[in-house]
Amino acid sequence: MEPAQVRLENIGKRYGEQWVVRGVTLQIERGEFYTFLGPSGCGKTTLLRTIAGFAAPDEGVVYLDGEPVTHVPPWKRDVGMVFQNYALWPHMTVFENVAFGLRERGARREEIAEKVKLALEQVDLKGTANRKPSQLSGGQQQRVALARTLVIQPRVLLLDEPLSNLDAKLRAEMRLELLKLQRDLGITTIYVTHDQEEALALSTRIAVMDRGSIVQEGAPREIYEQPRGPFVAAFVGKSNLFEGSVTRVDDGTAEIETLEGIRMTAALRPLLPSSPARGARVALNIRPEAIAVVRRDDTISSSNRLAGKVLASAYQGSLVEYEIECAGRSIKANVINPKGKPLFHRGDEVAIVFAPEDVLVIKTEQAR
Amino acid sequence: MKRALFTLLTLLVLTTAAAAKEVVIVTSFPKELFEGYKKAFEAKNPGIKVVINSKQTNAGVTYLRETRSKPEADIFWVSAPDAFQALKTDGLLDKYAPPKEIMAKIPAKIGTFPIHDPDGTYFGFAVSGYGLMWNRNYLQAHKLPAPKEWTDLTNPRYFNHLVISAPSRSGTTHLTVEVILQAYGWEKGWALLLNSGGNMGTITERSFGVPEAVVTGQYGIGVVIDFFGLSNIASGQPVDFVYPSLTSVVPASVGIVKGGPNPDNAKAFVNYLLSEAGQTVLFSPDIARLPVLPDLYAKAPKNYPNPFTMKLGGVNFNDKLSSGRRDVVNSLYDHVITFRHRELKDAWDGIYKAEEAISKAKGRDVAQAQGLVGEARKAASQPPITDKRASDKEVTDAFKSKSGLKAQLETEWENFARANYGKAKELASKALALTR
Amino acid sequence: MRRGVDWRQGFLMWALLALLGIFILYPVARVLWVSLSDDQGRLTLLHFVNFFRRPLFREALWNSLLSGVLVVFFGSLIAVPLAYISARYEFRGKIALQTLSTLPLVIPPFVGAVALQMILGRSGMVNLLLMRWFDTTIPFMEGMTGVVLVQTLHYFPFIMLNTAVSLSNIEASLEEAAENMGCHGWRLFRRITLPLMLPGYIAGSLIAFIRVIDDLGTPLMLNYKNLLAAQAYLRITTIGIDDVDGYVICVVLVLLSLASLFGARKYLAIAEYATVQRGAPVSERLSGGKRVWILLFIGLALGVSLLPHIGIAVLSFAKIWSFSILPSIYTLDNYVEIFFRVPHFVKNTLLYTLIAAGLDVLLGAAIAFLLVRSRLRGRNLLDAIATLPLAIPGVVLAVGYIRVFHGWDFPGIGGPLTSSWIILVIAYTVRRLPYTVRASYAALQQVHVSLEEAAQNLGANRFKTYWKVTVPLIAGGLVAGGLIAFVTSCVELASTIMLVPRIEMGPISYGIYIYMQSPLGRSAGAALGVVAILLVGLGTYLTHRVFGERAGSAFRV
Repeated sequence: MEPAQVRLENIGKRYGEQWVVRGVTLQIERGEFYTFLGPSGCGKTTLLRTIAGFAAPDEGVVYLDGEPVTHVPPWKRDVGMVFQNYALWPHMTVFENVAFGLRERGARREEIAEKVKLALEQVDLKGTANRKPSQLSGGQQQRVALARTLVIQPRVLLLDEPLSNLDAKLRAEMRLELLKLQRDLGITTIYVTHDQEEALALSTRIAVMDRGSIVQEGAPREIYEQPRGPFVAAFVGKSNLFEGSVTRVDDGTAEIETLEGIRMTAALRPLLPSSPARGARVALNIRPEAIAVVRRDDTISSSNRLAGKVLASAYQGSLVEYEIECAGRSIKANVINPKGKPLFHRGDEVAIVFAPEDVLVIKTEQAR
Repeated sequence: MKRALFTLLTLLVLTTAAAAKEVVIVTSFPKELFEGYKKAFEAKNPGIKVVINSKQTNAGVTYLRETRSKPEADIFWVSAPDAFQALKTDGLLDKYAPPKEIMAKIPAKIGTFPIHDPDGTYFGFAVSGYGLMWNRNYLQAHKLPAPKEWTDLTNPRYFNHLVISAPSRSGTTHLTVEVILQAYGWEKGWALLLNSGGNMGTITERSFGVPEAVVTGQYGIGVVIDFFGLSNIASGQPVDFVYPSLTSVVPASVGIVKGGPNPDNAKAFVNYLLSEAGQTVLFSPDIARLPVLPDLYAKAPKNYPNPFTMKLGGVNFNDKLSSGRRDVVNSLYDHVITFRHRELKDAWDGIYKAEEAISKAKGRDVAQAQGLVGEARKAASQPPITDKRASDKEVTDAFKSKSGLKAQLETEWENFARANYGKAKELASKALALTR
Repeated sequence: MRRGVDWRQGFLMWALLALLGIFILYPVARVLWVSLSDDQGRLTLLHFVNFFRRPLFREALWNSLLSGVLVVFFGSLIAVPLAYISARYEFRGKIALQTLSTLPLVIPPFVGAVALQMILGRSGMVNLLLMRWFDTTIPFMEGMTGVVLVQTLHYFPFIMLNTAVSLSNIEASLEEAAENMGCHGWRLFRRITLPLMLPGYIAGSLIAFIRVIDDLGTPLMLNYKNLLAAQAYLRITTIGIDDVDGYVICVVLVLLSLASLFGARKYLAIAEYATVQRGAPVSERLSGGKRVWILLFIGLALGVSLLPHIGIAVLSFAKIWSFSILPSIYTLDNYVEIFFRVPHFVKNTLLYTLIAAGLDVLLGAAIAFLLVRSRLRGRNLLDAIATLPLAIPGVVLAVGYIRVFHGWDFPGIGGPLTSSWIILVIAYTVRRLPYTVRASYAALQQVHVSLEEAAQNLGANRFKTYWKVTVPLIAGGLVAGGLIAFVTSCVELASTIMLVPRIEMGPISYGIYIYMQSPLGRSAGAALGVVAILLVGLGTYLTHRVFGERAGSAFRV
């Protein structure tokens, strides 16, 4: 079936007096890989379930290809869902699991055999057809669940944290496979996860959710590089968050003094919702990988240079993670590709250096 | 915790073992009776504790047989004389001669039945007659007359309104069955039993099931021993009781178990039972049995039956004959009546329907139909064996061993009954068809 | 602790095997032997051949099987909807539903039969009304109909509880996945829900089936004799303990139970497969029209299944209740009688059943420990013997005990074991052992061995580990198993009747039987029945409190 466009209009859902989703409006285009990203309890799964039809929204409308489907039962929506725990039926074999949807659609026997075989090949599970799910590994079960959903060629594919039960290495592999599969099939996909790396790697667009609402929607790069507000900044990627006030605004730069008394220069960009004026209170973020760690006596000059002391250092091959105490607070710094660079240890006196372009103003409250 | 449990156990074991001054009684009597005597006896004999082991008659006999290597009971105390006969034959009862001053007041016989075992192994302490008990409300609601005689049980009007307990399950019913067999003769007796069996609504497994069914009004009329009727009348239930004219009064007895743990206490208990004080206890309304001391009836409650002045229908009850063929008669009754009750009922139902149709078919020739019904009646009234065969040693012994003969006999009887009742039903339905 | 063979474990196992051998295997073997030997003590199959030659026994066999199947069928009609409701819907009064639906197990079925006679019998409440209004009666209680009716009302909770456990173990996503694939309604039930709840349903049906074919009280009270258990009892108590046919029937009964256990072992083995993946069970808040219909069904089903209880309660206050819709004279005497004049029935019940339940907990925990934690050979034997009592009718066990323990003085008692009340405690302990073994087994499986290893790593020895770590963790399971043992022992009749050495040693169930034997004492018996209901009801309620939603799993095979 043709991939569909999904539109949510002002969706709200509550349990008792508690709203778990409120005022969500968004549109997902055909063939997109769209991700709801957020911590547990942010309402992302509930939102997915309203699209699948398992949770009826208390307000708002769900559209599939322009048609309102809010009151269409799940079995008539033709959206395929892969559950977090896979939900494979333990009393059926792999073949029967995958064939289930086709049988429900009244497909002929030969057609079912053919399609199931293909689907199992597609997810690299040849030869497991007659096994029971309990005889498969976690990764294999995951792929059966995927095959079971894909084989019916749904209009929309819904994935509820499908990789969360796998170990780290398998997760990385499956992530890539999923990406290739989705791009090959071109199926509209909605993905729910709390893992920002997964979201960034897979998605065409991401909606970051917090406490039932979408706080920022955009392409992965936009979300990462221009987080709107401390929540997104902290949740997507690693961050060093500061609060402070603007002491001076120059052409394209602002000088800011943080609450800890650190002075730094930030490059202002036109993309910001509103440019801070002098005296405005701002929130800042500096990504750890934007911070260089140098010897105290190193003479690199930069507008942003702070003296500090190493609290912890973790060498990880491709990068070194430092925690550095500066002006009474701890700052994270990641030195990427440390080959040839000096390595610091706990207690070393160092300096950190970062460019004004890497000091992101993520929130502004203009002074009254 | 374990230690505490252990201490508790030891303590309990010790207390059980310590209470040695007791008299252990195996009895099938209802609670009211043994409780009454327990209280009275313990009051008279302080220090002796009456311990009751309540078992149904046949189970009691079995129990004494099983425990013969080391008897645990002192007294066997039930109604059915043939149970005592059986135990006496097995040598499980002790001989005893109660004091003369007690025995002198008790006559040797009641009717034709000796009250005590002439060999002194068991003693009648109360007498009972068998009869019919009915629920007044029930009979009124179903517009039925009260019964008087055993033969009334074959009345078609009573179809499905009667109740009896299986003789194999109840010593007293077995005696009733024997009274009927001896009063009317083997053939006629079985005809009566089979016909009344067809009228039974149900056949209970316990003798008290009969008074219970009558008292609650499940069924209208029951075949019971007198005290069931008398005690229920005394407690205000809407029931009545009658002794049929052909009946026998037989003693309920007590015997001392040979080698029991407390022989002296056992003797004291027997003496008490037969004494005037012990006999008076029988009058209490929830016991309602007939004492064996004729003089005592002067003190009896109003309208209390007196077996010594009652006109008894002169059944010469032969208890040797009765106990000799006991297992055979019981098994026979079970295999042709109790276990084939549905088929038997169907047969008599058919016969009654045909007869009713014949009596209503005015002016038409019903001779052939009458002939068929007559044959049907005959088929449904026949016992599978003769009385001679029933007392045959080969047959009676078959019920005491593991031989295959018992199984073979029982199968034969069962098949005989099944075939006959099927035939009777068929004949009756043919007769019914002829009247149309 | 999976560390090869440890001599202490080995010792424990052999000690347990010896104990179970003496109190389970040997007595049953003695019964078996009677049916397989002739007068000279030679081996013969003649008795079994004779059994199948006799139409009466063939009919009894057929009737027993038929009644078992019918009870399971009609029981399912009540049990499955109730199980579905209790597992799938949230509503006020749910705990009442769960407690009330275990109440039928509370009264001994033979008492239920008496009580039901007063209501549905030939001249019971309902038929008297029918007669008055329509001049007709319905034979609810006649013949096999009555037996199946009473047993259905008594045994359906086994099916319900087990099915409900299975149902609540099915996670929501399994059904949602099917809906997502386009499946719904009846098809969804048939293709997904039904197969997933089948293990519990089959386990429950199996228990019900086995209990029905072993049930003695009901057919005896209703005077329906053409059933195997009734025939066995009648034979042994009428013709005598030497009657070989009685033993043959006993053996046939044991074989039937074993065969059904064996036949369903596939389902019993995978009984928990729905819980392989953990997740939220489905449940829906009840509202609107559905709520009305469902509450109506619950009311109707429970109303019918509690009829015997109502009958007993009314009977216990009756002085005269004869051929009338309600008693014509009421009294409180029956309660005075049982509490003040003969309080020992209540006291004995508590004493015996509490000791038996305690022993069951100890033995159950020890056996489960060996089954789960040891790698000893012979474990399977231990498991099999500990499960065997499920398949042994009470009558058979009792007859075996009389055979084995009668003749000789047991050390420390000063008489044979059969002359002491301890024999009753032993019988109860053995009969209910499978429940505590299963309950502790399930609980122990949830405790990962690493928890014990952690304690040992911190320096606790094996015994200390077991007492300080394992036992507290499985305490819930142990207590629940013990409560089940207590509850079911309270109403045990089959073995009680045959084993009570003297009347003062009788428990409640025996007391009821004795009272029912005396023409004037029926109402006092009913009063004892009410006490039994309250006792066991309390026990059941506590089980639910301890076990919560999973209370039913304790009644599992």
